[in-house]
Amino acid sequence: MDYILEGFSIAIGLLLSADEETFSAVFTTLRVSTLSIFTSLLIGIPLGFILGYHHFPGRRLARTVVDTLLALPTVVIGLLVYAFISRRGPLGELGLLFSLKGVAIGQVILALPIVIALTASAVEELDERLRQTLLTLGADSKGLALSTLWEARYAVLIAAITGYGRVISEVGISMMIGGNIKWHTRTITTAIALETGKGQFGAGIALGLVLLALAFIVNVGVSFLRRRATA
Amino acid sequence: MTALMELHGVVRRYGDRVALKVDHLSLEEGRIVGLVGPNGSGKTTLLRLLAFLDRPDEGTILFRGEEAQGRREALRREVTLLLQEPFLLKRSVFENVAYGLKLRGEKEHLKSRVDEALRSVGLDPARFARRLWFQLSGGEAQRVALASRLVLRPRLLLLDEPTASVDLHSASLIHEAVLRARRDWGTTLLLVSHDLAWLYDVAEEVVALYGGRVSERGPENLVAGPWIQSKEGVLKRRLDDGQILVASGSADAKALAALDPSSVVVSLDRPQGTSARNLLKGTVSQMTYENASGRVLVKVLVGGLALTARLTDHSVRELGLHPGLEVFLLIKASAFRWL
Repeated sequence: MDYILEGFSIAIGLLLSADEETFSAVFTTLRVSTLSIFTSLLIGIPLGFILGYHHFPGRRLARTVVDTLLALPTVVIGLLVYAFISRRGPLGELGLLFSLKGVAIGQVILALPIVIALTASAVEELDERLRQTLLTLGADSKGLALSTLWEARYAVLIAAITGYGRVISEVGISMMIGGNIKWHTRTITTAIALETGKGQFGAGIALGLVLLALAFIVNVGVSFLRRRATA
Repeated sequence: MTALMELHGVVRRYGDRVALKVDHLSLEEGRIVGLVGPNGSGKTTLLRLLAFLDRPDEGTILFRGEEAQGRREALRREVTLLLQEPFLLKRSVFENVAYGLKLRGEKEHLKSRVDEALRSVGLDPARFARRLWFQLSGGEAQRVALASRLVLRPRLLLLDEPTASVDLHSASLIHEAVLRARRDWGTTLLLVSHDLAWLYDVAEEVVALYGGRVSERGPENLVAGPWIQSKEGVLKRRLDDGQILVASGSADAKALAALDPSSVVVSLDRPQGTSARNLLKGTVSQMTYENASGRVLVKVLVGGLALTARLTDHSVRELGLHPGLEVFLLIKASAFRWL
């Protein structure tokens, strides 16, 4: 038991002394996850809106595919992306393997189904009275679409935050595509896996605490927005 | 007066069921029209057609004499509908009221127009303009919803039981505000209201819908079954207090019978020797002035049933009618019409 308590005291020390190696992993995580989530939102919100708002042939099938992709394991994404961007792969020329951009590609594939599915649900679940209200106030089809998305904004933000929570806590993609390179592609999660393997519980716990704090902030955000969305 | 809207041979179906069938209906410009009818009679369907939210399966709708088909989006800016349940956009009160004006690109004097609209429904702009949609009571939300329509100065304002789910104070402010819109800008009003006393008082004309069809006789009494076929070839309906209502014709047990209020005769004493098959004892419960006909509607409770008689004010005075008075109703068995 002692080594766990000792780990905690080392962890507090590392965090308070702003240990460079620890904070390098934290900043790497923030950088790559921010890039991933913004790219996912840019692609995912329009696609999710189309899926939830328009009735087109094949919509049900598209919905099923997206829902299935929600369960994609990170190691499978890692495997696929690795195959494409490794030297021998079709995108090998771009030199994306063991880079943060490569990790971001994998994380976008991870977050995209979440953003699309939750945005689509948010738009679908809007009250029928919203449509009638917008039309009776004189909205044309463009105004109707834009105002509908704006009405769903809190639920769309929940989608964004949920996707972000998934991205910062994943380890498979970061490990396989990033390669856990110190000062370069080492993220919080890959560092924890490594430090634990080395028996360095202090560093692992320190990073674990940072991750928990991030997760806490994310969840406070979600619960606040959820209250707004349903008010 | 010219017709603002006219419906010719309009039919709206949901699946196989005909929800509405209107041979002809005309809304005169600047009039206050009441719309009454039991649940499922097609009131909401008619409102949706008039608001251009829905299109008819058959027939034509004219707006100021011109075919509406093909320019519904533009016409939706002339006509607006206030829904029964208060519903606001997830924005501030100010943004809710300004929404329609912004869509129309009318950004001049935006603030003063929004403030004026809020005041017209009894909301102080200084206190309410910046509130968010969830910081309002149901009645306040409905008044904001009305303000967001009044600010557009529509040619036609459709109100679908706007006071059904709000408090009395809000209901009276809503009533005042819609009447003011007619007075100030000549807005044509079509009102559906559960507050029949108010509706009959303000409406210059009342359209009654039964089973998706417009009744030519205006609002009628409705008597639901169970009807019992008797040996004498008439239908009988037993009332709660044991009295029996007799109607001629043939219909099934669950049929709905309509009774024109003008064919109900009120008497103070039990009349002797009458040809009417029905002689029912009841109590006057309410008396309402019917603006459209200039008559008085006298509601009489008879064994759990409310029957309305349409009388002249002269008769009301002559008989000395007042709520609480016991009276007799005379109704011919042939006065019932089967729906």
